[in-house]
Amino acid sequence: MKTKSPNQIGPLLAIAYYGLRAQLRNRATVFFGFVFPLMFIFAFGFFGPSGASISIGIPENGQSTAIYSDISKIEGVSIQKGNPADLQRELQAGKLTAVLITENGPGDVKLLISQANQNQAQVAQSIVSGVIAKENLSLAGIKDLPINLSVEKVAGRAFKFIDFFLPGMIGFAILATAVNNTAFGLIFLKKTLVLKRIFATPTKGLTILVGQGMARVIVALAQTLVIVAAGVWVFDFTLIHGLFTILLIIFLSIIGLLAFMGFGLFIAGVATDENSVVPLTNIIVFPQFLVAGTFFPIENLPAALQPFVKILPLAFFNAAIRKITTEGVSIDQVFPQLLGLLAWSIVAYIAAARTFKWE
Amino acid sequence: MSKKSKKAAVKVKNLVKKYEDLAAVDNISFEVYEGEIFGILGPNGAGKTTTLEIAETLRKPTSGQIEVDGLDILKNTWEVKSRIGVQLQAAGFYPDLTLVELLKMFASLYQVEIDPIAILKKFSLEDKKKSYFQKLSGGQKQRFSLATTLINNPKIVFLDEPTTGLDPQGRTNLWQEIKNIHKMGKTVIITTHYMEEAEKLCDRLAIMDHGKIIKIGTPHELIDELLKTGFRREKEIKKATLEDVFLNLTGRQLREE
Repeated sequence: MKTKSPNQIGPLLAIAYYGLRAQLRNRATVFFGFVFPLMFIFAFGFFGPSGASISIGIPENGQSTAIYSDISKIEGVSIQKGNPADLQRELQAGKLTAVLITENGPGDVKLLISQANQNQAQVAQSIVSGVIAKENLSLAGIKDLPINLSVEKVAGRAFKFIDFFLPGMIGFAILATAVNNTAFGLIFLKKTLVLKRIFATPTKGLTILVGQGMARVIVALAQTLVIVAAGVWVFDFTLIHGLFTILLIIFLSIIGLLAFMGFGLFIAGVATDENSVVPLTNIIVFPQFLVAGTFFPIENLPAALQPFVKILPLAFFNAAIRKITTEGVSIDQVFPQLLGLLAWSIVAYIAAARTFKWE
Repeated sequence: MSKKSKKAAVKVKNLVKKYEDLAAVDNISFEVYEGEIFGILGPNGAGKTTTLEIAETLRKPTSGQIEVDGLDILKNTWEVKSRIGVQLQAAGFYPDLTLVELLKMFASLYQVEIDPIAILKKFSLEDKKKSYFQKLSGGQKQRFSLATTLINNPKIVFLDEPTTGLDPQGRTNLWQEIKNIHKMGKTVIITTHYMEEAEKLCDRLAIMDHGKIIKIGTPHELIDELLKTGFRREKEIKKATLEDVFLNLTGRQLREE
């Protein structure tokens, strides 16, 4: 008769707790899990595309005109002063959107636009031509205009770049933790014989895996909270339903982590040592990191690629978390994405179960 | 001593372990008596570690039986695990945890209550209690590893090449620790490839090569048997060895780098 296996609650908690402590003392975990995503957020939060700002160069001699005073009143347009030659150089260097030259008297206005950024140049051109048209009308003495345009501002949700970018960073952090940490972590424990030593105690393999998983869930939660906190405090990240949105983000992060962890286990099973882990994690993490909606919307990709990219695991996660943070929907609205993640995790865990070896 | 109580602590019968076609352990049988220090002696690759790890329930045998403390290792795996103490050939500990944390973790895994400081004191490691495992010297690592084998108060302790890589002082010190464990009434099974270690430490020896046990006996029996064949050393043995000279000059004091 076989003896019953011992109670596993104590060992499970011990493995989770001490695994977590060891992880947090590991510089790689802290760097890739916390510092790396924060660096991205700070880099792109400050320098990233923050609405189109139009800068128009106008030489000193052109600054007494009515055109100048009209343009300078327009919001979102900054005026750069200087001599015409310098301004043209800056235009060529891409630092200015357009240069307005009024050398031959107020009746001869020349607008130089850069071909480098056509959209912004277009905006600058229409701003200037609008101002000139208005000036023309008033100079021609026309007061009763046949067509009147009245613009009314409607309150809308301000959509900032951080609101797009931050959810993608959560996705990246979760994916990196789930895949890299799990794969490297397990290979490390195998190599240092920690796993073998634990197996000499009355502890089951499943207890070790679940305990390690619990430690990673806690790390992932901390990552998500740190990223959201940095976003809210430094960049005014929008939490549509406040605390409730945070809870949804946390819930989704745990789901994402559990789904992605299957890939980490799979790699730990296939890889023989740390060196063979690197290319495998790179294959899984980096392409997704680049195309699956972390830095730019998937819709910006060529149309032929989009259907394939949209079914990547990270794309499902990013789509779900963005729906929650930017559209303010609840969990039931992201059911298709959750289903997608479920499908991927079934594939990953089956692959992991087939390849994983304890020795 | 082994003559008095012949009850077997470990009974190995027709044990075979094959890796593909290679037999790492090739049909061996032996018994380890309760309360003795039993050495498995052999060159690298002889199958010592494989044999030990099968008895420790870490590997599955291809065929054959092992009873540990009267329990079949395959049928009573969990009970066997909690009755034995295990020291692996190399570390086996989280490098980034302190010694106290590691002891507490293993206490939870064995589901026993311990006093970590008392255990560390027994192995002269109490001033290292807050050090990370990776910061220990080779000798300290082996002493700590030995300390963890006692956490669950096992009846039988398995030690896999515990003194490999240690300096003579560290080795002499570890022998003393192993003798202390033996004095606590525990059965000790040790693998080694140092003849001197086998001779000084072990009550009985099994000499193993190419997966087979060639000879079993006490060190004296084995030597006498060889002498009976007419074997003589080419040179007369001196009353001291070079190791005695070395330890006499450098002292027995433990060195920690």
